[in-house]
Amino acid sequence: MISPEISSSINLVLLGAASAFAFAGILARNALLRRVGMWIVLLAFAAQTLQLLFGYHKHLPGGLSLGAYIQLIAWFVLLGGIIVWRRLQQQTPLLFAAPLCFLLFFVSMFCLDSAVTLPASTQHSFYALHIGALFSSLGLLTIAFFAGALFLSLERRIKNKERMPGIWQDMPAISLLDKINALTVLIAFPLYTVGIVSGIVWSKPVFGASAVGDPKEVVSVVIWIVFGILFHNRLVKNWKGRKPAQWTVFIFLLCLFSIIVVNTVMNTHHAFIRG
Amino acid sequence: MPSFEDSALYMENDICLVGLNHRTAGVDVRERFALAGHCDAEHWALPCTGGIRESLILSTCNRVELLAAGTGDVADRMLHCWARARQARVSDIEPYIYVHKSLAAVRHIFSVASSLDSMVLGEPQILGQLKAAYRKAAACRTTGVILNRLLHKSFSVAKRVRTETAVASNAVSISYAAVELAKRIFGDMRSHKALLVGAGEMAELAATHLLQNGIDEILVTNRTYARGRELADQFGGRAVPFENLTDTLAVVDIIITSTGSPEPVIRARDVRTTLRTRKNSPMFFIDIAVPRDVDPDVNSLDNVYLYDIDDLKEVVEENIAGRRDEAARAHRIVDEEVAAFAGWLATLDVQPTLVALIDRGERLARDEVSRTLKRLGSQDEALREALETMANALVRKLNHAPITFLKNGCSGQENKEARINAIRRVFNLDSDT
Repeated sequence: MISPEISSSINLVLLGAASAFAFAGILARNALLRRVGMWIVLLAFAAQTLQLLFGYHKHLPGGLSLGAYIQLIAWFVLLGGIIVWRRLQQQTPLLFAAPLCFLLFFVSMFCLDSAVTLPASTQHSFYALHIGALFSSLGLLTIAFFAGALFLSLERRIKNKERMPGIWQDMPAISLLDKINALTVLIAFPLYTVGIVSGIVWSKPVFGASAVGDPKEVVSVVIWIVFGILFHNRLVKNWKGRKPAQWTVFIFLLCLFSIIVVNTVMNTHHAFIRG
Repeated sequence: MPSFEDSALYMENDICLVGLNHRTAGVDVRERFALAGHCDAEHWALPCTGGIRESLILSTCNRVELLAAGTGDVADRMLHCWARARQARVSDIEPYIYVHKSLAAVRHIFSVASSLDSMVLGEPQILGQLKAAYRKAAACRTTGVILNRLLHKSFSVAKRVRTETAVASNAVSISYAAVELAKRIFGDMRSHKALLVGAGEMAELAATHLLQNGIDEILVTNRTYARGRELADQFGGRAVPFENLTDTLAVVDIIITSTGSPEPVIRARDVRTTLRTRKNSPMFFIDIAVPRDVDPDVNSLDNVYLYDIDDLKEVVEENIAGRRDEAARAHRIVDEEVAAFAGWLATLDVQPTLVALIDRGERLARDEVSRTLKRLGSQDEALREALETMANALVRKLNHAPITFLKNGCSGQENKEARINAIRRVFNLDSDT
């Protein structure tokens, strides 16, 4: 049986190599290096999928370590990148995802022994649905964030007639970035909704009420509302271009606040993640 | 680092290039001395006789160059042939020409192939023209070991320059810059339509580039409908009445305007309304007209991008400056490749000695096998074959050390000559018969 340290190290090395190729390919404007980087990312994703299937991530009996949770986020980010790659034939999000996932794996290596003691209630099937849907949504939102941020940067240059030297010339067209943003947002919001609703359903038997005013609940509902406005306008009012890109960046930053600040600093029933 | 320029001077067959180009001669002179018609087999202007052993003629609208390998004053012979072909005196051509010899000629032809010597730095046509010139020369059987190698190498140098530098990237014409910008906005052109408003040379060029990039359809609108239809036919598109301009905006993504109208023909309020109709899909306006055809406020609308002639000129100037920066890197690549080519040229000097050494060994092996068989009185073919194999293997092994010794001395001229002399004396190659 491969230990979590070894399986994590394999992924860390693969993602490190993918990031190096991606950076080199982007900076040197070399399509071959970029393609190699993308295939290594896919290899890393396949390796992690196998590790998840064989349960190498289950370091502690009866639960996951904090490191495994972080690695799971990386897996969903890569999944989001793969969806975009398959649907829109665009490898850039995967290349941008590689260094982020490398960073997540690097951080996770320090938390492999950090036990997350899950409440007994988390054995409920709604917990898997809650986590699965929210992590999928977060993975896609991360890709939407990359596409949105890149769109804003490129669009500003085109609009203001600024020079686009070097690497900017190899970036995808802004229409394509907008399509990536639209695809990911339109899939991510329903998943986020499923995550929130399953959380509310799960909350009733565990905490005695569907909503208990927990900071995590409040922030999540705020995100859901803002996300909903973006989803509605994308779908019904044909929002395109700069506005949805700005909203996506804002929503992603709210999610980061929710994960990093609320989970680790505030007094919330999601604090179990601190280990 | 040994001086490759020096070593080349000693080559038995020297490379020489004589030519004129857009820098040294005006268009009238280039026309007068063009050799386009003299590149074909029946009119070949450079006979491979006398000192000229190999030759190639490159004649384009921006340059006429004669490249040859041979002995003696190759440049002078080429010049005379050129003047004769154009029924002119040598003194008529001389004020406009440049002459490059040895590695300077190699460097020049590498630079030409890489488009570093072109009027528009990095333009791609010259490589195709050089390839065509080489094909013609090869068909006329005027190329040999040196020019074959030189031309093939120049093609690979050009490819390397294009791959490793950005000297050929970024548009350097207004019309092409507009299309490049359109690609940054829309990416793949195949699902997009363009509208040509008015007629003008630059707008037509931009439309041609769009077609080359696979645009789905080109619509044309002109105040004179017949002229619009004529243009539409030219691009395989369709004409729309000028009165329907605002409605047409809803179905096109790229709009190129070049009317002579003193007032803008496309206003911001019309575009705002159109955006709602087309569900905020992006629009790109290329306004080549002076005075401008598109209200500048259009650029402030979301998902609308407007570039006028000055913006495009600025893009082109920046791109030209970018290419110039890249040219320095490209010249370094050319220098590297010239040095590598000089290494190959230098090995040509040791070839006769190598051949003599190998011939001598093979002859000795043959003689010794015959003598041995005669002494044994044997007619056995199998025995002959075995002896020959053994003798040849022995000769190859014995020759290995002097061959390596010769090849390793190719980098410095003095060293090379000393090694050649040593081998010829040790193996008695000059008196060996």
